[in-house]
Amino acid sequence: MATTNATIGFSSDVTDSSLSVSNSTQLNTAGTTTGVNTMTSVTKVLASTNQVDLITAGSVSTTHAYVYINNPSVDETKYFAVTIGNAGAGSPTDTEEIGRLYAGDFMWMPWDVDDDICVTPSSSDDMTVEYMVFS
Amino acid sequence: MATTATLTLASTDIAGDPVSVSKVATLTKAGTLNDLDQSIGLNRVHLRSTTEKVLLAANAEGNNLAAKVYMINKSEDASLYITVKINAQTTGKLYGGDFMFIPWSQTDTSASIKVAATNWTSSTGDIPVEYALFHEDTDFLTNA
Repeated sequence: MATTNATIGFSSDVTDSSLSVSNSTQLNTAGTTTGVNTMTSVTKVLASTNQVDLITAGSVSTTHAYVYINNPSVDETKYFAVTIGNAGAGSPTDTEEIGRLYAGDFMWMPWDVDDDICVTPSSSDDMTVEYMVFS
Repeated sequence: MATTATLTLASTDIAGDPVSVSKVATLTKAGTLNDLDQSIGLNRVHLRSTTEKVLLAANAEGNNLAAKVYMINKSEDASLYITVKINAQTTGKLYGGDFMFIPWSQTDTSASIKVAATNWTSSTGDIPVEYALFHEDTDFLTNA
C-alpha cells in the first residue's frame, strides 16, 4: 500500500462574495482506507481529429481508479472532447461526452473501470495530452 | 473576474521516487481567454436514498460552451459512496472524502449529472455531497 494524496482548491470572485474551497483526500482502493498502489503516467501527441481510446478498462485491474487528464496546450482554441463508454471497442462509438478540455484545462475524477475513456482532438495539428491513472 | 482551480497529487512511495504534480487552471469560456463569469456557488445536499437523483440538469443551450463541475463526498465513512452518472453512463464512484472536477458538455438535455447513494441504508446515515458549477451560458437552469 502506498500513500497518495490529492488536494484541490478553488478561488473565485465570480460572485460578489468570493469563494474559496480546499479539500484533500487520500487515494484509496474501493471502500477502504488502504491506499492505491499502482500509477500510470502517460504523455501522448495526437495528430488527427480521430477519436482515440486513451485509457482502456482493460489496462486497469481494479474496479475503482482515479483519472487525471491535462491539456497542456497554450492555444485557447484547441481542445479535447473527453468521452466515456463502449469498453474494449478499440474504435469507440456511442459514447457519452463528459466535457471538453480546453487549453490549460485539467480534469480529475473517479473511474469505475467499466468503460474506456476516449479523447477527440479538435485539430489535426500536433496536440499533446497527458494523463495519469491511480488504482 | 476569475476562477482558478488547483490540483496537487503527491506520493512518496507509489513509485521509486517521490511523485508530485501540481496544476493550476484558470477557467475560461470555450475557445477563448475570457474568464468564466457565472456560478451557482457552493451547494450542499444530503443523500439518503439509493434512488438516482438529478444533481445538475443539463441545458441544451450549454452545448459547446464551457462548464466545470466540482463535487465531493463529504462522508467520513470510506465505504460509503455515491455513483455519478452523466445521462445513463456511469463515470465513477465517489467514496467518502473523494472529489472530482470535470468539464461538462451539455450535449443535450439528457446529459444531466445524476447521483445515487448506492449503498446507503437507513443505518448508514446521510451522505453529504457538496458541489459547485462554473459556467458561461446566460440561461442556465438547475433543479438543485
